[in-house]
Amino acid sequence: MNANAEAAKPEQAIVYIVDDDSSVRAALEDLLASVGLRSASFGSTMEFLAHKMIDAPGCLVLDIRMPGQSGMDFHRQMSDLGIQLPTIFITGHGDIAMGVQAMKNGAIEFLTKPFRDQDLLDAIQHGIEINRVTRAEQAINTQLQKRWSSLTAGEQQVVQLVVQGLLNKQIAAALNLSEVTVKVRRGAAMRKMEAATLADLVKISEKLKI
Amino acid sequence: MKHDIGRPLRSHRLLSMAGLLAVMAVIFLADTVTDYAVAAAGFYTAVILVAVRLISARALVVLAGLCIFLTILSFGLTKFGSYQVGLINSCISIVAIAITTYLALKMNAAQAAAQQAQAQLLRIARVTSLGELSTSIAHEVNQPLAAIATSGSACQRWLDQQPPNLDKARQAVGRILDDAHRASAIIARVRGLTQGEQPHKSHFDLNQAALEVIAISRRDIEAHGIAIDLDLDETLPWVMADRIQIQQVIVNLVLNASEAMAANQGKKKEMKIRSVSNTPQTVQFTIIDSGSGFHAGSIAHIFDPFWTTKDTGIGLGLAISRTIIEANGGRIWAEVHPDGGAIFQFSLPVAHAEEKSN
Repeated sequence: MNANAEAAKPEQAIVYIVDDDSSVRAALEDLLASVGLRSASFGSTMEFLAHKMIDAPGCLVLDIRMPGQSGMDFHRQMSDLGIQLPTIFITGHGDIAMGVQAMKNGAIEFLTKPFRDQDLLDAIQHGIEINRVTRAEQAINTQLQKRWSSLTAGEQQVVQLVVQGLLNKQIAAALNLSEVTVKVRRGAAMRKMEAATLADLVKISEKLKI
Repeated sequence: MKHDIGRPLRSHRLLSMAGLLAVMAVIFLADTVTDYAVAAAGFYTAVILVAVRLISARALVVLAGLCIFLTILSFGLTKFGSYQVGLINSCISIVAIAITTYLALKMNAAQAAAQQAQAQLLRIARVTSLGELSTSIAHEVNQPLAAIATSGSACQRWLDQQPPNLDKARQAVGRILDDAHRASAIIARVRGLTQGEQPHKSHFDLNQAALEVIAISRRDIEAHGIAIDLDLDETLPWVMADRIQIQQVIVNLVLNASEAMAANQGKKKEMKIRSVSNTPQTVQFTIIDSGSGFHAGSIAHIFDPFWTTKDTGIGLGLAISRTIIEANGGRIWAEVHPDGGAIFQFSLPVAHAEEKSN
């Protein structure tokens, strides 16, 4: 493995390269460095898995034909392994059927070697952008989840009924509480969820699928 | 000298079957008119063994059923001898017929499997070695090419920076040179492959060598409904060459010829194979097919690598054939047959007396 991690800022993107050919790896790393992208390259999918993933937006440039596990097989397994990197396939002997298969499996690009550098760089930028959005959504989701679990069981019950459109009076009846208690719990929940309005709370509840 | 290497013709087959049915009638008569103690029905097994070469498995089972039926009928019609002896004899005959049929079918299936394996081997040797070769060559050459193209782009970008990053650019050019050398090494390896190994020359009978490989490819050729006409010069002197390589060339030419005729519509499919001692120093081997031949302009190219008229070919067969023949001190050439079709010929040097004695 060889990482150009000198200028690694926390949110600087990273491009993972998996190709069994060392000169292709070296050339790709250098091309990415020349446009200011950092990269980490590996000779096989095993090596890639053994490496600790960097917490940054990124994408994966994956060779299809490799000794050991093929890139196509690895790509199919990636979601099971919890790897969500947008993937760009590169191959020395691609045909249309293979390209179609790759795209169906969710690859963002399929390039046959030798490819035009701009095609690859565009695909990489696109991939990183997709991953950045995904990661941002995930971060928000995690935070909301955290806020939700800071609510007491009673508060969660109240919120679940509030977002269904029930009035305090109705909630109090349904939960067999006094209206004052419902108001108190509702206020606490709004504060903990950082929801300024009822509309905010409804939106959050949709995201959390409560 | 004419060799006949065909399977029994259809008319021969019908004649043989008629003969077998006559034999069965004789056995039936003998079994019926003689004493119970004479187990003539046992001879039905001989009929089964002969018939297995002539008819399909299903027909053989029907024939065996007929034999068993005749045995039982004879048993019913016979009027002489001990009834018990007759019963036992008939049972033994029936069991013998059944077992013979079973074993004959087994044997036939095993033979068919062996022939299929042989045909497959021939195809594998010819097709996969070349087909897969081309895929792997493409992949092998594409890797350094991809690296060169990528390094070239990187180099351009380093140079375009303000100020240009000459160090990085120089490194990229270094990688480009390495990869270019690597690509040319791969090409050299491929050339070595098509040029083959140095021939291991020995003196041998070209007729015999040809007959061996023709026998192996016979099934492939007959599957295309092609008749082979062999005319080999019996007085042909032995040649000095690599026997296996020459056999590879003959197989290649024979299969090319049969493929060329496979698409013949309503035209006679005939392959003529000739050997002749044309000069004191050389012998000449000729394969003539009645296929579609070549276009006038293509004759000059047919021995070029990667030149092909076949949809599935990669155009290495004749190129390799030429390399082999030339490495063995011979010459190979093609002509258009006046009646359409192609003539492929090669010559090889004759083994001299002193070489023979070594």
